[in-house]
Amino acid sequence: MNNDSPLKAFLVILVTAAVCSSLVSATVVTLRPIQLNNKMLDRSRNIIKLTGLVEEGATPSDEKMLELYRGMDVRIVDIDQAEFNSELDPLSFDQRRAVNDPDLSVAIPADQDFASLGRRSRFATVYVVFRDGDLGRLILPVHGAGMWAPIYAYIALESDLNTIAAITFYEQNETPGLGDQILRPAWQAQWKGRQIYDEVGDLRFAVSHGKVEPGSATSLYEVDALTGATVSADAVTSMMHYWFGPHGYRDFLQHILEHGTGEH
Amino acid sequence: MTSKETFTKPIVRENPVTLHVLGICSALAITNSLTSSLIMSVCLTSVLVMTNVAISLIRKHLPSSVRLIVQITIIASAVTVIDQVLTAYLPDAARTLSVYVALIVTNCIVLGRAEACAMKQGVGASILDALGNGLGYSIVLIIVAVIRELFGNGSLMGYRILELAHEGGWYEPNAMLLLAPSAFFILGFLVWGIRTWKPEQVEKADFKPAPLPDREKR
Repeated sequence: MNNDSPLKAFLVILVTAAVCSSLVSATVVTLRPIQLNNKMLDRSRNIIKLTGLVEEGATPSDEKMLELYRGMDVRIVDIDQAEFNSELDPLSFDQRRAVNDPDLSVAIPADQDFASLGRRSRFATVYVVFRDGDLGRLILPVHGAGMWAPIYAYIALESDLNTIAAITFYEQNETPGLGDQILRPAWQAQWKGRQIYDEVGDLRFAVSHGKVEPGSATSLYEVDALTGATVSADAVTSMMHYWFGPHGYRDFLQHILEHGTGEH
Repeated sequence: MTSKETFTKPIVRENPVTLHVLGICSALAITNSLTSSLIMSVCLTSVLVMTNVAISLIRKHLPSSVRLIVQITIIASAVTVIDQVLTAYLPDAARTLSVYVALIVTNCIVLGRAEACAMKQGVGASILDALGNGLGYSIVLIIVAVIRELFGNGSLMGYRILELAHEGGWYEPNAMLLLAPSAFFILGFLVWGIRTWKPEQVEKADFKPAPLPDREKR
């Protein structure tokens, strides 16, 4: 057939489109289970690290990790009602998708929106860690605007719901070598033992603008600055101020302190 | 042209990045880490080989009126496949690289080789051409990445080479090297170096500046 006939052009396009689309679909379908498994593993790795259930520095096998993760007490928090919600299924609820659903999200008042989020989900997926039947740690998801893309993190609180036990940033796109110092284990280790509120309930936690001197007035609440990454450091501070402020988890944490977490 | 030449020519003499100045976007964006650069090099080379083979196979049946559409469809499919493989088997690398891998579709080296080589030559020559160009691109990326990661972060592929000052060592890293503009400078010096070594690569001036008026007559 003549290459210049319109019919030939039509046929060639049709065949190319059919072959290419089946190739792409086949790849996506075959690799989907592996990708989902990766995602699940990644999330469980991040959460398990915060529970204190495995020794620090230890790397449990993937199966062990998934087993621990499946055994965790996952719950949904109604942030505005400041209590647990028992209607939504914690395993299928997707907090990120909820932000775009008008029924499941709320606009953040501009004067409260330190983390530049615009809207947030009304509900959050949290993990409760029990130790000898009592509340051991509470793991809360937080996020905020970063330098280039949003920063997503989980933060674990000790049973006083004020002392930080650990933090993990599981999704970020800060500048490599500068802002991505938020991933440095040595820096994250400083968070342990820092407190969010002072004794009168004021929010004091911050990433300092210099080095935190041990024993100084701020040393209980602040972690060291990140060299050359003021924007990322301030983004982390703003994120903490939003999520532990009056529009974030503050009232919920107060509620738990007064009423406990309920049944295991 | 012998098959050896087809393979070796794009490495320095007709390097896609330094001579044709193609594929600059990724050369700037991901070269702050050697690992990312190596993965990106492998991805681009695989896409090049796949598309060059596919296009070379059907080149005699491609009506010239729709050939670009067909080429881009093939390139986009190959890139999607590579991107999916990357997210499945190298999830950590994929998280930082995924955007740039998807952008291989718009990398001019791929379409350029399809048009310049695969449309005209057989499968064998097209594979060699793809490997040669992939290697030429990879070498540039690796050179830039080694300089940027070593002096910007004191490490190579994440392994500490120079002890950083803020971790108790002696080396004060140059943070500018981690930002994209520094890749511009390094690429510029690289092009300058190669063109000094091989003056035939220097392009002819587009125009001659008019001579300055004589000082006396002004």
